[in-house]
Amino acid sequence: MREPILRVLGLTACYGMISALKGIDFYVNDNEIVGIVGPNGAGKTTLLESIAGSMHIKEGQVNFLGHQIERWPVLKRRQLGLMLVPQEGNIFPLMSVKKNLEVSVILSNRAKKEELIDRVYKLFPVLREKRRQIANTLSGGQQKMLAVGIGIASNAKIMLIDEPSIGLAPKLVTKLFETLKKIKEDTGTTIVLSEQNIKVLNIADRLFGLEAGEIRFDEKTENLSRDVVKDLYLGSIS
Amino acid sequence: MILNGIITGLIMGGILSLPVLGVAVIYGITGIPNFAIGVIGVFGGFLTWYFLSFNMGIAILVGVVFCFAIGYIMQRILLTPISEKGGDSTLFFIVTVSLGFVFEGLTRAIFPRPSISLALPRIGTINIAGVTVEGFKIFALLFALGTLVIIRLSEEHTEIGKSWQATSQNLKLAKLIGIKTNRVFSIASGIGCALACVGAIFWGSLYNLNLMTGWDLGFLGFIIAVVGGIGNIWGGIISALIMGMVMSFSGYLLGGMWQSVILYFIVILVLIVAPKGILGSERSL
Repeated sequence: MREPILRVLGLTACYGMISALKGIDFYVNDNEIVGIVGPNGAGKTTLLESIAGSMHIKEGQVNFLGHQIERWPVLKRRQLGLMLVPQEGNIFPLMSVKKNLEVSVILSNRAKKEELIDRVYKLFPVLREKRRQIANTLSGGQQKMLAVGIGIASNAKIMLIDEPSIGLAPKLVTKLFETLKKIKEDTGTTIVLSEQNIKVLNIADRLFGLEAGEIRFDEKTENLSRDVVKDLYLGSIS
Repeated sequence: MILNGIITGLIMGGILSLPVLGVAVIYGITGIPNFAIGVIGVFGGFLTWYFLSFNMGIAILVGVVFCFAIGYIMQRILLTPISEKGGDSTLFFIVTVSLGFVFEGLTRAIFPRPSISLALPRIGTINIAGVTVEGFKIFALLFALGTLVIIRLSEEHTEIGKSWQATSQNLKLAKLIGIKTNRVFSIASGIGCALACVGAIFWGSLYNLNLMTGWDLGFLGFIIAVVGGIGNIWGGIISALIMGMVMSFSGYLLGGMWQSVILYFIVILVLIVAPKGILGSERSL
């Protein structure tokens, strides 16, 4: 049994009086893709933001690579190897594609920087083509690629991605998911993504079902029935 | 004398563009409207005046560095914490205006004279198409434009500049990718105050500095920045040059007392037609 690289224990988070997460236990092993599924308002985003540090938690522990990080600021978690790609506001809208990526490699050394940007261009050739274009003039799908590209460029050990498929055409969802799988296989990056799209079953090693701030299941994908997951937790159909 | 009016306007606008740049840098990056920077800049100008007999270079350096430090510290220990606790524009207005009064009071308390004129060496005169202009004024204008170019170039081509842009466009993502956004804020605030100080030094050597000049420079700088599209550096400069012209021509044609009437009338008119300013604000996201 592998030791998890990220472990969350008894995580509780609130928005004012409303509790969004009610004592969540959650873990991620090295080099796996974990899907967090659940309906709107289940607490998927809150869970990811609590791990990344952009949301204050009320109680609980977050352990990453042997460090107790739940009180750490975002920057320190980032330096340790955590990166969140938010659902919205995930690009720098008025900078060119190239500059978006150049600024995202800020924590890497000079030689590594070029390699990372090149990796993004290889995964998303359209971004290389449009590297001089201002980010907010890209199509929705391309903007999503750039957002994931920023995540890749950050060279994180764990990349948390909040609902990457939202607003994408079915074909692009398939393509994006295939790319995520390739990222995992090529670079050993661990990926946690929240999703409502059933296609997450095709790439995730494990799924966490989240509903009303509580974990409903934690299963290896192969043990889950497609229909059960679809009925219970996934909104959009492929 | 049209040419004379244009040249005077350009120079006024050029000097005004320094506090405007200060406002644009601070607001563009931190999102905080800081009304104290003019008064802080003038405090720096008084400081320079105080040390001027000692050594001009050192005196200017003392003023500018002091203002940078004040801007940096003010952001670090006061404005960033307030911002993190969710402070809104009204609160920042009150806090920064209060800071302005603190520095006005300090200027009054520390320096022996309430009104000064900085005797910087004149560079001689230059003849432009029959109009004689003081070389120092041309220098002031070129300095302002040069500062703008340097700021723009460093935004485009240096790592620090890119992280500034990133911070101003998407603070949350900037934090997530690992930019030290609080330091970016502090440096921006320091640079803004230092620019205001340079503006005040030029102003003080061409006209004079008194306890009210800081408010004039600060508010005028802010209003001009809004007219240009607040946070938009090019817009700020264009707006400063236009406003300089407006002041110069209304002064020539109608007399000095009409300057502010015409100026603010045009400001209001522009903002009715283009509420986001001449070039639009980059920070409207």
